[in-house]
Amino acid sequence: MTAISYAPATSASRRGRMNRVLAVTRLHFVDIWSIFAVPFMIMIFILLVNMAIWWLILTSISDPESRANAQEGFSYSGASFYIYVYMMVVAIMTINLTFSFATGYGVTRRNFYLGTCIAFVTLSLLWAVVLTALSYIEQATNGWALGGHMFSAIYFGDGAWYQRVFLHFVGMAFFFFVGAAVATVYVRWKASGMLTFFASLVVLLVGGAALVTLTESWPRVGEWFVDAGSYGVAAWLLVPTALAAAAGWLVLRKATPRT
Amino acid sequence: MSAVVEVSNLTKRFGHFTAIDDVSFRVEENTIHGLLGRNGAGKTTIMQLLTGQDFATSGDIRVFGQSPVENAAVLGNTCFIKESQRYPDNFKPFHVFRSAPWFFPNWDEEYAQLLIADFRLPLNRRIKKLSRGQLSAIGVIVGLASRAPLTFFDEPYLGLDAVARQIFYDRLLEDYAERPRTVILSTHLIDEVSNLLEHVLVIDEGRVIIDEAAEDARGSATTVVGPRGAVDAFLGRREILHRDGIGGLASVTVGPLTGPERAAAAAAGLELAPVSLQQLIIRKTNVSQTEFEQSA
Repeated sequence: MTAISYAPATSASRRGRMNRVLAVTRLHFVDIWSIFAVPFMIMIFILLVNMAIWWLILTSISDPESRANAQEGFSYSGASFYIYVYMMVVAIMTINLTFSFATGYGVTRRNFYLGTCIAFVTLSLLWAVVLTALSYIEQATNGWALGGHMFSAIYFGDGAWYQRVFLHFVGMAFFFFVGAAVATVYVRWKASGMLTFFASLVVLLVGGAALVTLTESWPRVGEWFVDAGSYGVAAWLLVPTALAAAAGWLVLRKATPRT
Repeated sequence: MSAVVEVSNLTKRFGHFTAIDDVSFRVEENTIHGLLGRNGAGKTTIMQLLTGQDFATSGDIRVFGQSPVENAAVLGNTCFIKESQRYPDNFKPFHVFRSAPWFFPNWDEEYAQLLIADFRLPLNRRIKKLSRGQLSAIGVIVGLASRAPLTFFDEPYLGLDAVARQIFYDRLLEDYAERPRTVILSTHLIDEVSNLLEHVLVIDEGRVIIDEAAEDARGSATTVVGPRGAVDAFLGRREILHRDGIGGLASVTVGPLTGPERAAAAAAGLELAPVSLQQLIIRKTNVSQTEFEQSA
């Protein structure tokens, strides 16, 4: 009995492996329309709707002091938050469907996960640059000539460009990797996994809230956020992001693609 | 001959359910293998184990001489087309054909285009909106054009009409003749593919019940037809695979008959009819079913 055996790993086959990892990354971008163009257009539409609302509010107020108040209120905008949620959904779909698709192409779980991580990081960076650029345009045009705030909302801070890029980059990566990690639980353990996961999550959140309430430390929690500031919080966000990325791999490495 | 796939004492359990029960077989290089059996027999599970998509409970799997689990060198030479293949949301067929060459080094674009025309597959429609047959056509085209050294087709043609299925069989044979490779095909439409197959592996309730060359399998049973008394007298104590009867006539399926036995049957006025692969498998899987019921 003879079996065909393949040569052990050489530098050439290592390059081959890198190619397979990058092929997975490219696979995520093959439909650029749904992962970038469509969400971008929706974001621009939301901006236009916001501009209409700002304009309506300003035309209905004649008193200059009240106008200034209203414009200050505009800075508490959560409108651009939508893009984060959209990207989380992208991550969930990716793990749920693209994983099954890529494994049919003979991709290993490891190469799939590596390629997917590169795609997530690339997309996070892309969105961070876009959102930062829009925040500068918004400020330069005095809030689209209406004193509005969508990309320079108060929680994004007023830092240097690299701080803004960093904040959005980490925020995006957080949503990508948390979405992906939750989806791996579904791929591996299906509905029962989801039930267990969300039940545990609720218990943890309620337990945490109870702990903070009973020790009367809510003011301290609030202070922590204020002290850390937007960019400090973003830096801390790297910790759960890295944990989610590691957890996603530990769950996916023993998962079977859904059929 | 060299084996592309070697499986020994493979067992896969899902909880208390044993899907694959101590199975051993080999798949020779450059053959078309049929993996046949009833629904739930374990065909898909075997393919998932061979492609490292699922993990064996015990036993050993060698694909190209190595374990396939998380083995990029092995899996890079495989292509697994399943009937239930899921595609990323919003994907259109052209996304599939654009990305497939990145994963299959032997991908033949010209051939893919030819197949797309053969199957009249619309490239620019959302996959979600395709018909069942068009969905299957995507898998079939990828499976053929990828020219992977080891290709798995798991019920690849659900919803394909008779014409499209014939195109699939013709293209597979043509391309296989020009560029030999190993194909493992699971199917329900046994008679349709029986001329295609060189080797059959029949699985029933997680066990291999037939593992032989298709030619031998087809010759391994004969149906003897004639008056009941004459049939019974001829068969004697032979093991009977299946028995039918109308009035005084009997039609009995038995194992292979030798030349002299055939002559004796003809002399006794009995008719001998070949048993199709499909009939043979139905008979064999029924036998194990009744044995199972008797022992339970």
